[in-house]
Amino acid sequence: MTTSCLSLQDFTVHRGECPVVDQVSTELRAGDLVGLIGPNGAGKTTLMRGALGLLPYQGHSSLSALPPNARARAVAWLPQTREIAWPVSVETLVMLGRVPHLGAGQSPGAEDHAAVSDALAAMDLTGFATRPATALSGGEQARVLMARALAQNCPLIMADEPVAGLDPRHQIATLAHLQSLTQSGKAALVSLHDLGLAARFCDRLILMDHGQKIAEGPPEGVLTEDHLRRVFGITAHITQSEQGLIFQALEVVE
Amino acid sequence: MSGVSQKLLFTGLGLMVGLLTLASLLIGPAGFSIADSLAALFGGTGDAVSLVMQEIRLPRALLAIMVGISLGLSGAALQGYLRNPLAEPGLIGVSSSAAFGAVVTLQTGLAAQMMFALPFFGLFGAGVAVVLLLLLAGPRGGSLTLILAGIAISALAAALTSLVLNLSPNPFATSEIVFWMLGSLADRSFSHITIALPFMVLGWILILSTSRGLDALILGEDAAASLGINLTRLRWVLVLGVAACTGAATSVVGAIGFVGLVVPHILRPFVGARPSRLLPASALGGAALVLAADIAARIILPDRDLKLGVVMAIIGAPVFLHLIYRTRRAEL
Repeated sequence: MTTSCLSLQDFTVHRGECPVVDQVSTELRAGDLVGLIGPNGAGKTTLMRGALGLLPYQGHSSLSALPPNARARAVAWLPQTREIAWPVSVETLVMLGRVPHLGAGQSPGAEDHAAVSDALAAMDLTGFATRPATALSGGEQARVLMARALAQNCPLIMADEPVAGLDPRHQIATLAHLQSLTQSGKAALVSLHDLGLAARFCDRLILMDHGQKIAEGPPEGVLTEDHLRRVFGITAHITQSEQGLIFQALEVVE
Repeated sequence: MSGVSQKLLFTGLGLMVGLLTLASLLIGPAGFSIADSLAALFGGTGDAVSLVMQEIRLPRALLAIMVGISLGLSGAALQGYLRNPLAEPGLIGVSSSAAFGAVVTLQTGLAAQMMFALPFFGLFGAGVAVVLLLLLAGPRGGSLTLILAGIAISALAAALTSLVLNLSPNPFATSEIVFWMLGSLADRSFSHITIALPFMVLGWILILSTSRGLDALILGEDAAASLGINLTRLRWVLVLGVAACTGAATSVVGAIGFVGLVVPHILRPFVGARPSRLLPASALGGAALVLAADIAARIILPDRDLKLGVVMAIIGAPVFLHLIYRTRRAEL
């Protein structure tokens, strides 16, 4: 039995009276690359923020039960909004991922610098280290922030739309890197709008709609004609190939 | 930003503070020679020279340094926390409340009867502002509620100060109030330092303890929280630190603007924009700026008692305009 990285039981988050995440239960174990899919407003972001303990919730989340410092070493979180407040260097920004590993007043050591340069290399950012992060393009900034989450070097990475705004090469590279991380024993929960990438890279998909978990399982089991029509309101062409599952969205259904 | 250039920056700032302190000690209307002044500073013969050096110029220079550190740190911390280069220490309303407390003592004549009524009432005003801020913004309020509460308190304190001026039956008290509000380091003694220093040191410690949190906030509140930063705690440590610093500074020297706004802005590019490094740099930079402005206030019109706050605004505003101009050109 592999170690559990996240477990949610009857997890509910209310906004006012209305539940925006409704009775969701799931479990992520080491080695899992799980895609969180669903239309806008389905509750994907709220589920992840709630699971981290950033929102008030009912039910159980193994992560939010941890004290903040231990949680910061158990999960790296990449929020959807890409904020870089000051024109700090890329290296400084990625080094922030090492904050949970440093004692009070401790400056980064060799291990921290190694983690930062590994993360920069993984995100194809070698050579960017001294550039001001705010001077980069939007896609490059997204990769810098992803590198920050990687440098945190946690058993679990939770990323909210990590590939939005990236060029195709870096979309694939980012997910391929997450895949190699999970194959080496980490876990990742990634919300995605690109169902083609979700179908190809994720071991498992969680489909959400109106705050509820509609389905969970391997991509071919979740991306069914019925689910696509009912939840996304689209039709798609899906085939099994040597390259894995190929998904192409086709039309809107009324 | 490499370690070498950081060392250079802090050495440079330290040297600047040292030289300006020396200048502040040596420049004055009494016109002693340099050798006499320095000998009198450390000797203790009780003659006129040592009295002037030890009881007038030394506390003045020390207060300039303390006020500069406090305002520079407060400005850098608030800008870092709010992630906004336009934030300044007056934003949370503590300095206007301290000023109101001080003005009441001037109006009622309490300041004339009891020597230290003014700074104590100033500190009391600052304390009331912090309590109001806590009540208005709530223990878990966000940064926006904090700013709005600060603006409301600031406006209220300013209105009450105006009311005091408005109702003042005594033109002498009125002019005293107006001149006090311009801010000055003149005629301050070691007792003022004794009153202000404990609050300021507490403020410095509180503000410096937020440096890692301020760095993490570069990534936004969500990411900072996920990095293990307790944002509620950070917010109140910061507010208390800034309040202690600006409340104490306003209570002893009056309202000094621009230091907390301009100094972090000037120094930010030199520290690679890192909020944690900007804190100590702005502390030194603030000390240098207040010392320089105080020296300027004494040199430019020696017989007219030019006020520090006026000089600061006259230096500060054009410097700020120049910075805005440069930023605009960089953006083109």
